Amino acid sequence: MLFNSIEFLIFLPIVFLLYWFVFKNNTKIQNVFIIFASYLFYGWWDWRFLLLIFLSTLVDFFVGQKIYQHLDEKKKARYWLWVSMAFNIGMLGFFKYSNFFVDSFIDMFHAFGYDIKSTWTLRIILPVGISFYTFQTMSYSFDIYYKKLKPTQNFIAFTAFVSFFPQLVAGPIERASNLLSQITNKRTFSYDQASSGLKLILWGFFKKLVIADALAPIVDDIFANYHTYPASTLILGVCLFSFQVYGDFSGYSDIAIGTAKLFGVELMSNFKFPNFSRNVAEYWQRWHISLSTWFRHYLYIPMGGSRVSQLRAVRNIAVIFLVSGFWHGANWTFIFWGGLHALFYIPVFLMGRNRMYADNVVGEKTLLPTPVEILQVLLTFVLVTFSRIFFRSPSLTDSFQYINQIASNFTYEAYVHPMGYRMLDFYILLALFIIYEYLIRRHEREPFKFKSKIVRFFLYTVVVLAMLLFYDDGVNRSFIYFQF
Amino acid sequence: MKKFLIKTALYTVLILIALELLVRALHLYTEDPPRFIDEYGVEKRVPGHNGYAVTGNRNQNFSEFNINSSGFNSYREYTPTKEDFEIALIGDSFIEGFHQDYDESTGKKIEIALDTVEVYEYGYAGYDLANQMHLINAYQDQFELIDEIIIYLNYESDLNRGVYEPNKQRIAMLRSTVFKIRDNIKLLAYGSKIGIVDPIKNLITGKAFQDTEQGYETNKIEIPERKEKEYLENFKSLVSLYGFDKCKTTILLDSRKTSESFLEYCDENNIKYLDFAPTFESSKKPVTLIYDHHWNNHGRELIASVISNYMMSREVSQDCQ
Repeated sequence: MLFNSIEFLIFLPIVFLLYWFVFKNNTKIQNVFIIFASYLFYGWWDWRFLLLIFLSTLVDFFVGQKIYQHLDEKKKARYWLWVSMAFNIGMLGFFKYSNFFVDSFIDMFHAFGYDIKSTWTLRIILPVGISFYTFQTMSYSFDIYYKKLKPTQNFIAFTAFVSFFPQLVAGPIERASNLLSQITNKRTFSYDQASSGLKLILWGFFKKLVIADALAPIVDDIFANYHTYPASTLILGVCLFSFQVYGDFSGYSDIAIGTAKLFGVELMSNFKFPNFSRNVAEYWQRWHISLSTWFRHYLYIPMGGSRVSQLRAVRNIAVIFLVSGFWHGANWTFIFWGGLHALFYIPVFLMGRNRMYADNVVGEKTLLPTPVEILQVLLTFVLVTFSRIFFRSPSLTDSFQYINQIASNFTYEAYVHPMGYRMLDFYILLALFIIYEYLIRRHEREPFKFKSKIVRFFLYTVVVLAMLLFYDDGVNRSFIYFQF
Repeated sequence: MKKFLIKTALYTVLILIALELLVRALHLYTEDPPRFIDEYGVEKRVPGHNGYAVTGNRNQNFSEFNINSSGFNSYREYTPTKEDFEIALIGDSFIEGFHQDYDESTGKKIEIALDTVEVYEYGYAGYDLANQMHLINAYQDQFELIDEIIIYLNYESDLNRGVYEPNKQRIAMLRSTVFKIRDNIKLLAYGSKIGIVDPIKNLITGKAFQDTEQGYETNKIEIPERKEKEYLENFKSLVSLYGFDKCKTTILLDSRKTSESFLEYCDENNIKYLDFAPTFESSKKPVTLIYDHHWNNHGRELIASVISNYMMSREVSQDCQ
């Protein structure tokens, strides 16, 4: 079920009312109801893959107990941790990466002059959200292994933790220490929390329906026909894609966090205005936070993090970014994208500027950013956007041809969409969006934090009006990160 | 909880009211003048309506219409005489021209080009060839005085029937309470136009649960041979039922979308047709509107020039005298 579907519009109020009116007195029954609602939510897409979620739940629940029982015997504990990893990564590998490995293997032999027919390529459907929930369940086993968490004895609560529908298919990738404890404990309805959830949902829908979906047909056209366009259009295309993917994914996260709030649950923040980052390190502290912190906690730090020789720290960074790229998709484009980010990040790390902006935002003490900050933000945006050519293109060849087309046809020509979209509307929309995001840059969880009720009401109305003005019924409405 | 539900409901209502006001103030909605079937069985607009037709989410096309006393969108009244030279331009929404200001219509452009003619535009959204041939037959007193008739034929969709039957169901549906509500709540009219209420409609009608993976390609319409035969039979049936004045009637068509067998039949039977495909193909500018396949101002200018050039060549040849 998509958040931006009529089915969800019916599903959400029914589940909300039943949750608070019928099941509110019994946390256990509430959790059973969460499981039911979550499995319905996921099964609406394809009920067959519910089994995978259940298996992942079962394995990590059991493995968690085993790891805890053997915490004093490091070898045995590690064995059980490997069981969890083998199961989850094995499942991910089969459904997401098997064809990639087969094809890459064949390509490699082809490069050496041997032709192998691709008889091993399988017709596999990628289960939606598999990369998200497998990482979430693995984090549970990791946390027990690293003694940050005691395993739960409550299977129902654990099942609800794994399948909690607001964040099941595209995150935020939660940690058991945050989400499981909330699910185990009794939730009470809070007016402030619920109303803040609704506001976040509204803002998420705006980002998805107005920013992402409105830009999608333009980006699709430019990337599909890049060989016919001049540099100005290709640069426009990748810049718009930057906003599209941001609107799409951060919009999803906002709706997820907002929906969870309606059920008395606080999820972690996933985006903190990454477009205002002053270097690539800050960007990764603000973009897909739940994934980047996952890699930091469960891969980077266990590998030694930055508390090793500089050379090994650089290697660790490179590994993190390459793995992160690979996590996004079974395609060399994503690995290359990850590699590029490593290249952008490493100089910042070597200069010791990677934690410089961890606790402040652009224009921290002033209304407007300083000229230096503007340049830093622009440079970061350019680097990140450049890398998105690889993220968006279907193959490495297309990525390089796209870049080559920019370099070889470096001319300006006003872009005209084949459907004749009035481009000025989109430029004004983006300009207003950037200005508004700058105004709220400290409050990623409170996008309408204005004292005046009239101002807030005006903003709600404008946001809904914008959805009507930019609604395009010809757009594929699924979320980009569902494919990961 | 009570406070939350009440405030949510209150805010929802207030936002909807504000949106209704904004949609009205910005005139985002389109107006659709009422339709009826007259005593001759001709489906058309109720005379005397003025308003604005809007295309696209953000007023990307905004044009004024004027329904004359004959029930068609035109800046002029239709009073043919023996003395004057009149051209009747008959067709569907392309000729009705709700996508242009009524005083900038294709007919007006022809009048400017030919100077001494009057063009009567009998356009109505939804007309097919049966509607058009029946109209000529029903208003034969008028059409006897009209000197030239141009029928716009969209071959792919206008030859589905060989007999005319007025569409009373559609008129009844448009007059139903549901449609009246839709037309009076401008937010709903706008939402309906841009397709935002389609998911709700699909859910109610069950379409939402049907397999939608097949997809469709709007620009790729292939007409099977069986259909071609059926279309030709329908055309013959319409000609025999309502008559066809070969002398003063010309079919305006796009040969790219018309079957060769139909064109051959026209050639063999001395049915004149005017093909605007070469003119459109040679145009360097787009000929259709934003978010819409109807002709834009440039497209209408090209159509007008095709017709006026044709008329000038016919005046010289006088081939039917």
